[in-house]
Amino acid sequence: MKFKLIKSLDVAGLSVFEPVVRLLWGEEPKVQIKKIGLYIVIPLLVFISFLLVWDFMGPRHKTKSGEVPTPKVVLDAYKKIVLFHDQEYAKLDDYNREGEDRVAHLTEVESRLRIVRDVLGQIRIALEDAENQFQEKLAKYLKPYQQVVAEKQKDYQARKAEVEGKLITWGKQLDVNDKEGKKDYIKAVALAKREFEKNEKHLKVLRTELADKKINESPELVTLRLQQTKLEQEEQFLVKRISYLSRANRSLKIEAAETILGDQLANLSNAYGDEGVYGLTLNILNSQERIEKIKKSSYAKPPTFFDQIWTSIKCVFTGFLIATFIAIPLGILCGLSSVFMASMMPLISLFKPVSPIVWLPIVFIIVGGFITNPEEAFISPAFLSTAITVALCSLWPTLVNTALGVASVENDHLNVARMLRLNLWDRLTKIIIPSSLPLIFAGLRISLGVGWMVLIAGELLSSSPGLGKFVWDMFNNGSSETFAQMFVVVFFVGIIGFLLDRLMVIMQKLVSFDEAVSTL
Amino acid sequence: MIHHFLLPTRYPRALYWMLLFTLMASLSSCGGEGTGSDDSLDSLLEKAEKTAPISKEEKSGDRQSVSPEKVVQKISSTVLERNELKFGFIKLTDCAPIVIAKEKGFFDEVGLQVDVEAQPNWKTLLDRVISGELDGAHMLSGQPIAATIGFGTKAHIITAYTMDQNGNGITVSNAIWEQMQENDSSLKLPQPKHPISANTLRPIVEERKASGQLLKMGMVFPVSTHNYELRYWLAASGIHPGFYTNTDKVGETDAEVLLSVTPPPMMPTVLEAGNIQGYCVGEPWNQQAVAKGIGVPVTTNYDVWKNNPEKVFGVTKKWADENPITHIAVIKALIKAGKWLDSTNSEGDLVNREEACRILAQPNYVGADYDVIKNSMTGFFYFQKSDKRKMPEFNIFFKDHATYPWYSDGIWFLTQMRRWGQITESKPDAWYHETIKKVYRPDIYRLAAAELIQEGELEESEIPPVTTDGYKPATNEFIDGMTYDGRYPVKYLNSMKIGNKDLEASS
Repeated sequence: MKFKLIKSLDVAGLSVFEPVVRLLWGEEPKVQIKKIGLYIVIPLLVFISFLLVWDFMGPRHKTKSGEVPTPKVVLDAYKKIVLFHDQEYAKLDDYNREGEDRVAHLTEVESRLRIVRDVLGQIRIALEDAENQFQEKLAKYLKPYQQVVAEKQKDYQARKAEVEGKLITWGKQLDVNDKEGKKDYIKAVALAKREFEKNEKHLKVLRTELADKKINESPELVTLRLQQTKLEQEEQFLVKRISYLSRANRSLKIEAAETILGDQLANLSNAYGDEGVYGLTLNILNSQERIEKIKKSSYAKPPTFFDQIWTSIKCVFTGFLIATFIAIPLGILCGLSSVFMASMMPLISLFKPVSPIVWLPIVFIIVGGFITNPEEAFISPAFLSTAITVALCSLWPTLVNTALGVASVENDHLNVARMLRLNLWDRLTKIIIPSSLPLIFAGLRISLGVGWMVLIAGELLSSSPGLGKFVWDMFNNGSSETFAQMFVVVFFVGIIGFLLDRLMVIMQKLVSFDEAVSTL
Repeated sequence: MIHHFLLPTRYPRALYWMLLFTLMASLSSCGGEGTGSDDSLDSLLEKAEKTAPISKEEKSGDRQSVSPEKVVQKISSTVLERNELKFGFIKLTDCAPIVIAKEKGFFDEVGLQVDVEAQPNWKTLLDRVISGELDGAHMLSGQPIAATIGFGTKAHIITAYTMDQNGNGITVSNAIWEQMQENDSSLKLPQPKHPISANTLRPIVEERKASGQLLKMGMVFPVSTHNYELRYWLAASGIHPGFYTNTDKVGETDAEVLLSVTPPPMMPTVLEAGNIQGYCVGEPWNQQAVAKGIGVPVTTNYDVWKNNPEKVFGVTKKWADENPITHIAVIKALIKAGKWLDSTNSEGDLVNREEACRILAQPNYVGADYDVIKNSMTGFFYFQKSDKRKMPEFNIFFKDHATYPWYSDGIWFLTQMRRWGQITESKPDAWYHETIKKVYRPDIYRLAAAELIQEGELEESEIPPVTTDGYKPATNEFIDGMTYDGRYPVKYLNSMKIGNKDLEASS
């Protein structure tokens, strides 16, 4: 049992937990505890201190788009993303509900809506009071400062008027030949000008200070406002749910259409000797068609965060598979034949360094040319273009590693094959590929990592509905949440990237004959 | 180990799916046979001719008679060709009609399930409409026109619905604003007199020109309302914004101010970074500049051209031809949404705007903070932190026939394209009228409106009278007081001081 666990931990690339298992079985506790301390406790401590530093530094770095969010704010943003997800799926379910289930939900939602509206009414009244109080308090607080600014302004204006008046009179009195006097006059005017400018500047500083002066809103007011926003959003959500449970519900729409169809059928069965029969029949066919369409319709749900993650994962694997199917055969050929390798070299070196941002528009145009009717295409062109871009950028590590793996198959093995007179196919499948598998998988692992990084950039540009689009949309929102939402994405991208890497490590371990070293 | 890994473990499930597919395939083919692979239309018709028709008298004896009036029905043509659609939009508050039509259930009412998807920029949006990935979209007024005449991507796009009027602002950086104040001290007042023209900007432009560092400003797209408005505002004060020519597709020939394309959400960031000194953009990006304290909106397009058309709902001609009934249904829902957005109470206050802001603030729509969206949408606009003004007509979604696709509105964009050289050769009046009739489709709007009037959702007076020729009366409500009459585009062009001029046909 113990060794099985250790083995599977090792395969999963989670050998850091190995000491825990050994400790549980009481094997050399001292050594194990030391190892746990080194490989688990210390990293954990570092992570916690990272969170603490972040929590401390975040609010102290102010940008014009708001503060850097603390871990708590990020968590709240995540909760909101989850809420959005849940609400959209609730609407989806409501649209598809029928029969008693629908009625039951309808009553439930309606009673909830009543409560929400009640509370909201109270909050609005309380909020108005609190707001008025706050404004009064603010006005009182600001008054002395405003007075200071007003007084200063008055002082400066008076001073300016006085000085200017004097200077003008002096200027008038200046004699034509009074060179000395004119020199003094210039000096005086320059000094006056400098003083005016200084005063203006001072006033401006005072005004800016005044604009920045504020008292914090009372916590009561802040909570009331938050509650109002939350409840108003819930109200909207509930109203929408009611419409999907009643007016806009699919089963009800079908029912209504079927009633019409029933009437029309009754009419037809009674009709005779009339030119209208043709029209009636057409109407019936139309009604039938309409019902079919309603039956097939589904709630048009915007993709939620988790839908987008799923799209991204599908996309990265599509791209990865394309890359694999291109890179492995090419790599094998390169490894087998030095002529082929030499002929491929210019192409590989030319295309390898090209950035995904360059590939994407090119791929987009090409794919667009093939898919002329995206409505009926089984795959969205945006999705496909992103996947191909991922493939183009991620196939190189696999290709190079495969070539290397194939080229470095031990000569002894090949000699054995020659002796057994194996044909090319057998040689490939029995000797060359199996012995180069560890290297191929090492390449695949790097490819998947590269693909995942390229993917986000690709989606951002192609607006394929994945994580990249989420990032771009949230950035475009420019709301106070934007910052925190980006951080949520950072963590998700990191975690998913990590899991993908682990997946490849497991595969690599499974195909390795020897104890190939895998780095964390 | 390898062996285990390579064998598909989900083998039985694959089998199950295959079975299901075969079953479904056979079922569907059964259905096909049932309805008529054996009985062809011709053989059926023949059969009907052979059987002697039963005379009326005979039949009425044994069955209850039904009055013919009840049987005769209009052939209902209301089966939607499509009932699941996808529309694109850009995150700006004027996408409201599409969002409201979805969220308030107007699309549901006409039997449509509509998915609305934010697009990264105007170019991608247009490309995806052309490629068919999107059925229709929230577009800049100039986009359908430019696409149809082939400036930029060429494709025949039509519009039967104008989404809103006004809604843009011109913002300059704090430094430029201070210099403008220096040039005209009346701007130092807490609430300076509007409209503010670019006259105070001209000395700055000249100074910059002399130093060899031209002033740079941002706009959102070459054929956007913003580009033309910014150019109009500058040119009205004698500042040359630059020509487009055959070789200059950026529009900087002879320019005294360099205009560059920047996506709306990037505007405040780029302004703050100092790459541009001002921009013209839609909401909420002017209010963002005020909120962040990085710039000052000096004027809105309400002052540049009062009640100018801003965004339209565009679809490709191909799509409209293939789905005429769906198109009318969409326009119906949009008209209702516009009406909802502009409905007022007895005191003339807009009653639904706050709810609309809540909806628009959702992250999958505009997503900006409710408070920021609320400013302009509920009739207020902050020019500076200390300068909050009432602007009840900052966004018009329905009032005064705003949603009707006026030919004269479209022609104004054509004249601006010619004025600044995006249309490289001179065109006669007739060309303008012909072109705009290809793009603007009031006929479709009228069909939708007629249905709404029949259903009691719309008043006769809420759409322009049938007698209109589609041109608004001449107006001089521009910042420079020039008169524009859409019937005589070339004459209008020639009345401008700066810009291309054409030969007028003698009439």
